[in-house]
Amino acid sequence: MRANVQQPHAPQDAQPILWVRDLQAHYRTSHFGVRRGVKAVDGVSFAVRRGEIYGLAGESSSGKTTLIKSIAGAIRPPLEIVGGSVEFAFLPGYGGLHRAPPVDVARIRWRHLSYIMQGSMNVLNPVRRVESAFVDFAYPHIGGSRKQFEQQVVAHLARVRLDPSVLAAFPHELSGGMRQRATLALATICRPDFIIADEPTTALDVVVQKEVLGMIRSIQRETGSSVLFVTHDMGVHAHITDRLAIMYAGRLVEEAATAEIFRNPLHPYTRHLISSLPRIGDDTPREGLGGSPPNLADPPPGCRFHPRCPLATEICKREVPAMLEADTGHRVACFAVNQGARA
Amino acid sequence: MAILLRDLLRHSPEFRIGAVLLAFVLLLSVLASFSPYPPESVYVVPPDVPPSLTYWFGTTSRGQDVFWQLSFAIRNTLLFGCTVALISRLFALVIGLISGYKGGWIDRALMSVNDTFIVIPLLPILVLFYFVMRDRISWLMLALIMACFGWAYDARLIRSVVMSLKAREFTQTSLFSGMSTRQILTEEHLPYVMPIVFSTTMNNMVWSIGLEVTLAVLGFTDINTPTIGGMIYWANQHTAMVAGIWWWIAFPTITVVMAFIGLFLLALSANAYIDPRSRLWSVGEAS
Amino acid sequence: MSGYLAYVGRRLGQFLLVVFIGVNIAYVVTHASPIDPVEQSISAVTSFGNTSPGAIEQMRNSLRELYGLSGTPVEQYLLFWKRILRADFGPSMSAFPTPVGTLIGRALPWTAGLLAVSTIVAWGLGNLLGGLAGYYRQSRGLKLMGVIAMGLHPIPYYILAMLLLIVFGFLWPVLPISGGSAMNLPQTWTPEFVLSVLQHAILPALSLILIGMGSWFLGMRSLVSNVLAEDFVVYAELAGVRSWRILTSYVMRNALVPQVTGLAMSLGGIFNGAVITEKVFGYPGLGSLLVDAVYAGDYGLVLGVTTISILGVSIGVLAIDLLYPLLDPRVKVS
Ligand SMILES: Nc1ncnc2c1ncn2[C@@H]1O[C@H](COP(=O)(O)OP(=O)(O)OP(=O)(O)O)[C@@H](O)[C@H]1O
Ligand code: SF4
Ligand SMILES: [Mg+2]
Repeated sequence: MRANVQQPHAPQDAQPILWVRDLQAHYRTSHFGVRRGVKAVDGVSFAVRRGEIYGLAGESSSGKTTLIKSIAGAIRPPLEIVGGSVEFAFLPGYGGLHRAPPVDVARIRWRHLSYIMQGSMNVLNPVRRVESAFVDFAYPHIGGSRKQFEQQVVAHLARVRLDPSVLAAFPHELSGGMRQRATLALATICRPDFIIADEPTTALDVVVQKEVLGMIRSIQRETGSSVLFVTHDMGVHAHITDRLAIMYAGRLVEEAATAEIFRNPLHPYTRHLISSLPRIGDDTPREGLGGSPPNLADPPPGCRFHPRCPLATEICKREVPAMLEADTGHRVACFAVNQGARA
Repeated sequence: MAILLRDLLRHSPEFRIGAVLLAFVLLLSVLASFSPYPPESVYVVPPDVPPSLTYWFGTTSRGQDVFWQLSFAIRNTLLFGCTVALISRLFALVIGLISGYKGGWIDRALMSVNDTFIVIPLLPILVLFYFVMRDRISWLMLALIMACFGWAYDARLIRSVVMSLKAREFTQTSLFSGMSTRQILTEEHLPYVMPIVFSTTMNNMVWSIGLEVTLAVLGFTDINTPTIGGMIYWANQHTAMVAGIWWWIAFPTITVVMAFIGLFLLALSANAYIDPRSRLWSVGEAS
Repeated sequence: MSGYLAYVGRRLGQFLLVVFIGVNIAYVVTHASPIDPVEQSISAVTSFGNTSPGAIEQMRNSLRELYGLSGTPVEQYLLFWKRILRADFGPSMSAFPTPVGTLIGRALPWTAGLLAVSTIVAWGLGNLLGGLAGYYRQSRGLKLMGVIAMGLHPIPYYILAMLLLIVFGFLWPVLPISGGSAMNLPQTWTPEFVLSVLQHAILPALSLILIGMGSWFLGMRSLVSNVLAEDFVVYAELAGVRSWRILTSYVMRNALVPQVTGLAMSLGGIFNGAVITEKVFGYPGLGSLLVDAVYAGDYGLVLGVTTISILGVSIGVLAIDLLYPLLDPRVKVS
C-alpha cells in the first residue's frame, strides 16, 4: 500500500474552504433519571483547502461520524454542540450550520455542500422510486425543464456506470453496490463545492470499492470540489486522500499530507496504525497495542492515549498535549514529539 | 422493582396520573369488604335519594346505596378484567414464544390462526353465545370465552420480541450448551418478554372490561352479579336518566372511565420505559 | 407481477381461513347449549299469538337445520354450511314470515354506510393530526390534542355514545338522538330524506370517530417519531428538501404503512363498536337488528347477523390487504 500513496493534487497554498475551530460535540441522554454524557468530539481544529481530498482516520467509535455530523449540521438530540465553531467559505459569519438561519442553510445544502452518510444503504426512501430522490434533492437547485433535468440525471448516472432503468426502481430492488453508486450520483449531481463522505465504500467488496473510489476521484477532479473523506481503512486513505488527519478518542492527534503520514508518522498512535498495515513480503509479526479504546463517557485525563502509550510520562497523565507543527504542514499532539517543536 | 417504580413515578407524568386514578378505583373496590349491605339485596335504603351526607353517591330506585353498590361493582369488574388478562396472557405467551422461536411452518400456521382471531368481530359471537346459554351464563364462563379470544394481538407482539432475541448470540450459545427448547424459552427468553407481558396486561384489561360493560349494559351477562355494566343496565331499566336519577349512572361511569384511563396510562408509560427509542425524545424536550 | 399474485393468493387463503374458523366458532357456540333450543324458541314465538301449524312446521325444520340437530353429526355440520353458503337463514321469527335475509339486506346499507364513513374519517383525520403532532412536537395545540386523545382512546364505545346522548339529548338537545332518519319521511332519495339521514348519522358517527381518531392519532404520533430517526429522513433533511415534502412524502408516507395494517387488524373491533353505538342511538343497522333479535328470541336472525358480520369484516380486511401493495412496494418480493 505504501507504494500506492498518491501525490497531492491540490495546490499546497490553496485557500481553505472549511475552518473547524476547537469543536466540541457531546451526546447527552437522560432516560428515566439515568444521565449519560459522551464526549465524542472534544476540541478539534483543522482546515480543508479548496480542491483537496482531506481524509479523516481513526478506529471505530473514535468520533469520526460525530465530528462530520457536527460539521454538516446534522445535529439532533441527543447530540449537542457544546463549543467551538465551524465555518464554510460559502456560508461565512455564523460559525456553524446549526447557528445559521434555516433559509440560508437550505440554500447551500446540496448546491454547495453534500453529504454521503455512513451506512448509506438506507438513505433512500424505501417506498418511493429512486428518481423521486433526484427530483427532491437536486431539481430545486438545477431547475430548467423536467425533460432537461432528466437527461442530466441519466448522463450523470452513466458516469457512475448505472443504467437509466434504476430511476424507475425501488431501493430494495437494487444491489448494495448499485445503491452506493446511486447515492454517490445523488451527492455529486449538483457539483457541490464540498462533499462529506462517511465510510462511502466500507460495505462494498474490494473490486466495487476500487471502482467507487475511482469515481469519487474523477468526479472530484472534474468539478474541483473539496472532499472530507472519512474511513477507518488506512489503505483507502493511501489510495485517495491528499491530506490526512488521525483521530483518537474524540481528538485529532496528527495531521499531514497523506504521503508524509505514511512515510514519517510521528504520533505513537499513528505509528502503531501504520506499522500494523499488512505489507507484501513482510512476515514479521505485528506488535499489538495493549489495552482498549477509552470509554468516551469517562475519558482518561491528560492525553487520552496515555494508558496505552509506550512513551507516556507523568505530564501526559495531567495535561492535554496541543496540536503543534512539528514540521511544515505536519501537526502532532504529543509531548514526546513536540519537545523541541515550534509553537 | 422498587427502583423501577420510583423511576417511573419520578420521571413519567403519565405514570403518575395513571397510578393516582387507579389508586382511587382500587381503594373503592377494597371498601366493598366493609359494606353494611350484602350486594344482592334490594330495598335496604330509601329509593331515589340524591347524593347527601348519609348517602354519598345517593341511592337507586331499587333501594340500594350507590356508593356501596359501586364498590362491589368495580371490584367485580376489575376482577373480571384480571381473570381474562391472566388467562389470555398464558395463551399469548405460549403461542408467541413457540411461534417466534420455532419459525418455519409452525410459525406460519400459528400466525394464520392468530390473525384470524384478531380479525373476527367478537361482539356478535359473544351475543350469540349469550343467546344460546341465556341464564346459565356465568361470570367465569364469560371470562374464559373472552380469554380464548383476547390473546391474539399480544401473541404477535411477543413473537416479534422472541424473533429478535433468537437472532442474538446468547441463544446460539445456549443451544450449543445443550439446553432444550423449553429451557431456552423459559430461562433465556421469558425474562426479556415479561416487561411486554406486563404492559399488554393493562391494555388487555381495558379491552375485556370494555366488552363486559357493553354486554352487561345490554343485559347479555349475569345481571345479578353487580358489575359496572350491570349497574348501568338496571339504571336504564328504571329509565334513571329520564327520571333525573343521574347519580345512578354518573358515578359508575366516572369510576370506570377512571379505571380505563388509569390502566391505559400505566401501559403507555411502561411501553415508553421499555422502548429505548423514546429516550431520545425525553432529552429533546427537556432542552 | 408474479410476486403480487403470490401475495394475493396468500391473502385470499387467509380470508377463507377467517371465514372458515368464524363459521366454525358459530357452529360450536350454537352447539354448546345443553337444552333443545328449537322447542324453546318455538314456544317463545307461538306464545305471542296464533301462527298456523304449517308455518310452525316450516320454522321447526329450518331451525333444526340451522341448529344442526337433524341427521348424523356429519350431516348436521354439512347442512349448517349449506345454509350459510346460500345465506338462507329461514324466516325470521320476530318478523314472521319475512326471511332473515331480507331483514339483513335492509339493515346492511345503514351499517356499511355508517362504518365506512366514520372509519375513513377517523383514520384519515387521526393519522393526519397524529403525523403533525409527531413532527411538530413543540406545538401546544397538538400536545393538547394528544392529551385529549389519551383520555378518549381507552373509553369504550358504549360509554362515549351514552355521554354524547346525554349531552345532545338532554342537556343541549340540538341533534336527533334516535333512528336513521325522521319517522315521517318516506325512504326515497329526496333532499329532505338525505338531509335527515345525515343529521341522524352525526351522533353515532361522532362516537365512532372520536374514539377511532384517538387511537390512530396516538399510533401515528409514535410511529412518526420513530420514522424521524430513520436514515432516509435525516438524509433528506441534510439535502435541504423542503420540510413539508419531508413530512408528507418521507415521514408520513412511511409511517402510514403500519397504520394500514393496523386498520385491517382493528376492523373487527370497530365493528363491535358500531354494534353497540347503533343500539344506543336506535340506528337501523345490523347492530340494532342483532340486539333486538336477542330480545325477541329470534335465533335465525342472531345467527344470520353473526355470520354476515364475520363475512363483512373479512371482506373489508381482504380489500385493505389487496390495496396494501400500492402503499408498500416491498411486499411483492418478500
Ligand atoms: N446517538 C448516540 N447516543 C449516544 N452516544 C452516541 C450516539 N451516537 C454515537 N455515540 C457515541 O459516540 C461515540 C463516537 O461515535 P461515532 O459514531 O462518532 O464513531 P465513529 O468514529 O464514526 O465510529 P465508526 O468507525 O464505528 O463509524 C461512541 O462512543 C458512541 O458510543
Ligand atoms: S502525549 Fe504522552 S501519552 Fe500522549 S501520545 Fe504523546 S507520549 Fe503518548
Ligand atoms: Mg462512523
